Amino acid sequence: MTRAQAHPRASSTASDEAQLVARLRAGDEQAFEALVEEYYATMLSVARGYVRSRALAEEVVQDAWLGVLKGIDRFEGRSSLKTWIMRILVNIAMTRGVREARSQPFSSFAVDDDEPAVDADRFRDAGDGFPGHWRAYPRDWSTLPDGALLGRETLGVVMQAIEQLPDAQRVVITMRDVAGCQADEVCEALDVSEGNQRVLLHRARSRVRAALERHFDG
Amino acid sequence: MADSAEHISCQEVVELVSDYLERSLPPDETTLFEQHLNFCDGCDWYVEQLKRTVETVGEIREEHVPAEAKERLVRAFRDWKRS
Amino acid sequence: MIAYKFLRDDTTSVFTGFAWPLPGDGPGSWVEAPVEQCRSGIHACRAADLPLWAGRRLYEIELSGEIVEQQTKVVASRGRLLRRLEAWDALRDEYTRMCAERSHELALGASPPLTEWDAAVEPSVREGPALLGFVAARIAEEISGVDAYHAERARQADWLAERLDLRQNRPPGQGAPA
Repeated sequence: MTRAQAHPRASSTASDEAQLVARLRAGDEQAFEALVEEYYATMLSVARGYVRSRALAEEVVQDAWLGVLKGIDRFEGRSSLKTWIMRILVNIAMTRGVREARSQPFSSFAVDDDEPAVDADRFRDAGDGFPGHWRAYPRDWSTLPDGALLGRETLGVVMQAIEQLPDAQRVVITMRDVAGCQADEVCEALDVSEGNQRVLLHRARSRVRAALERHFDG
Repeated sequence: MADSAEHISCQEVVELVSDYLERSLPPDETTLFEQHLNFCDGCDWYVEQLKRTVETVGEIREEHVPAEAKERLVRAFRDWKRS
Repeated sequence: MIAYKFLRDDTTSVFTGFAWPLPGDGPGSWVEAPVEQCRSGIHACRAADLPLWAGRRLYEIELSGEIVEQQTKVVASRGRLLRRLEAWDALRDEYTRMCAERSHELALGASPPLTEWDAAVEPSVREGPALLGFVAARIAEEISGVDAYHAERARQADWLAERLDLRQNRPPGQGAPA
């Protein structure tokens, strides 16, 4: 289930958007502030996939908002507002990232190596009979105390896990599951194939699940 | 191995969960996936874990915009409005 | 078409959690769900499929509208529960035990015996009929290949059909169980 389904705020209808764009063009400062509040953190997270420091990422986000303002009169609504903003951000972030010449190579969205969702040693092998089946079952989280999954501590574990993801995975899971962007919006904004987007999301989610599991299993 | 597998293992299931939740698994694989979940408590719990993980990630509240950054943006907006 | 459907103990669908209208004096009310590959539609099984979908409660279901028969299940646009097959409740443990005995027989009868596979049988019993059905068929496959998997499943379906008083759609006879 994606966040877009669980949180209405993250999705907006075409007419909501049209209204918002009209208000921006009319100089409605509150509309602008609300828009910034909604997307800032996601934009920051995405920007940090491309440039090294948080300070630089903040610069990128500032520049992106300027780009949004400069372009809002020409926005035609052919893509969603969210996708359009993200595209502006990504273009600026990419340019900036190249210019700043990161010490690590720019993290591409290519997916060419293997990363199992769960360690192979947790499954039986040919000598054990029933190869490929769990050696020991994962835990039933429905037996956890109420609210264990939504407490501040757990959110902290999740946020830290996302922080530690490889850049490409972090960008995708932030846009999909934190910000509630749809799959096609993410593909469009990042210029990533559908297949790669799915693999990156799968890997990101698997790693975050593993972090939560380590947290609960002590 | 036959053209279509009769069954999939837990190790295969954990690679398919995200796609299953997105409903982007092809029909044959969906059926095999569900058949497996029908008999395997372990994978049932794993899928539930993945679902809860995604829900928890969705609970991350966007951090508030740092005050200084917001001021800069509001100023930029006012400049733009005037121009 | 008459088919079968397993529900959870709380009478909801296993994968969607949908709360089915139950039969009372008469059939339960009709449920409609347009058939859309894997996304929508009423899912049910034929007699031959019962071992694959073994669950907690078994019902006879009437399907109509658009009906699509797939390899291991049937999907329809309309369905209503006709009656609960209470005999399944009593049969569950016996069926599970039967599959466990078959598993031992197959595993220990192989040469060389599949001792590691056999060791996994008893600990699996508490998980019930669906798992043990799989275990037996999987062991058969390990020894004699994919055809043996299907043959074992057919044995299981026959065993159930004989004892469940299924009105229609009995699996094609495979001969008496050995």
